[in-house]
Amino acid sequence: MIGDLNGVMRKEAARILKEGLVDVVIGFQTGSMPLRAQPAFIRSAEKVDRLISGGFCHMNLAKYLTRRPRSERLGLICRGCESRAAGVLVGEQQHVRENLYLIGIPCEGIIDRRRIESVAGVDVLSAEETGDEVLVRTRDKVYRFKRSEVVHGACSRCRFPDPVGVDVIIGEASRERGAGPVEEEAEEFDLLTADERYTEFSNRADRCIRCYACRQACPMCYCGQCFVDYTTPRWSESMVSPAGTQAWHIMRAFHQTGRCIGCGACERACPMDIKMMYLTAKLNRYVEKSYGFVPGNEENEPPPFAAFSTDEANRLDR
Amino acid sequence: MSTSSSPRLVIFQCGFNHYGEADVKSVEAPETARVKLVQVPCAGRISPFFILNAIQSGVEGIIVSGCASGKCHFKKGNLEAGRQLDAFREFLIYLGLEPQRLRLVWIDPAERGRLLQETEDMIAVLRTLGPARRLVTRAPAAA
Repeated sequence: MIGDLNGVMRKEAARILKEGLVDVVIGFQTGSMPLRAQPAFIRSAEKVDRLISGGFCHMNLAKYLTRRPRSERLGLICRGCESRAAGVLVGEQQHVRENLYLIGIPCEGIIDRRRIESVAGVDVLSAEETGDEVLVRTRDKVYRFKRSEVVHGACSRCRFPDPVGVDVIIGEASRERGAGPVEEEAEEFDLLTADERYTEFSNRADRCIRCYACRQACPMCYCGQCFVDYTTPRWSESMVSPAGTQAWHIMRAFHQTGRCIGCGACERACPMDIKMMYLTAKLNRYVEKSYGFVPGNEENEPPPFAAFSTDEANRLDR
Repeated sequence: MSTSSSPRLVIFQCGFNHYGEADVKSVEAPETARVKLVQVPCAGRISPFFILNAIQSGVEGIIVSGCASGKCHFKKGNLEAGRQLDAFREFLIYLGLEPQRLRLVWIDPAERGRLLQETEDMIAVLRTLGPARRLVTRAPAAA
């Protein structure tokens, strides 16, 4: 099935390149290491055979919208999370919708490399997806994993796996909708007492080495200069100390309020394997409860922090 | 009462609303509490960073005081602050902060004495809560 899908996807990519609809198609190609695909920038129709899809494509390609000039016409191969990220970024004027051609593909969930490596070790020679199984070869053993067991947490609970607002959809939506990391993780965390919550938060934040891989992987982090890179003024503690890492975790998440689309790219990028989606999940849940806003699903809706108006029913008088 | 047990309080005060009153209070207060008054041009100027930095430096309580809705000198500054800081307060509580430590008050310029009353109330609450522990990760700033 993935074979057919790749074929149709390549054909569509070749078509839009040939017809001159786009300058470049951004998708995934086989990476130099197993379990990890890497982004591909295809500029001519002859090279579309490099494009692949599947569970090893672990990044969020919408990140590149903010890294390319707005005048460049981009073809973007997007899954559900990437299409919603592109929607938010277009709403925030980070790219021009007319210059984007979004090719929607179904998503079976991204495979969590760490879950495989925790069983098979880090010396994986090759890996392939065969239907519901993931076949992993190491030097002396072949492992078979059930797909549902190694899919990333953000994907197994994905609320909106289908692409939205795209120009063309390839294949059919094949996956059921989950409760969403938004609901589950934040609610589990909320059940703890305040003391336990703080202990858990500080334990997770303490492991942070402040490499900012989460920021680099996140499609929503596109500030010209991030607050942690400022020295005048120094907005927050900049050392790798509890004060610094906690401030980074709090403010990074808070900047995502009502913007995080829950793709989990931050967690997959984290070299310390810190789980951090419970932070943005809480903020998204708050925004959804208070303002009925779900990021990425309404086109051109202003972000909730910018949508206040003077006739807002005296929310302040409480 | 020793200074170590007297709560430290930061008031972020909109310059267009009861600033004089807050000023008087901060001068009167040192007997029972250490109040630091920060004047801002509008509640909308208050960045969540200010609040986070204050909490990390170990203040026991924070009052953010802005104008009631419709009374903002800049029309919408208080609404902007309201949305952001409401969410930020909720977020800090989620991470373990005691809800009593961060108070957002929106005062009509006609409500004389409201700020004094809120400040006194806050100091009383802080005294029962004791010193702040959670999220306090920085070396304390000079009192």
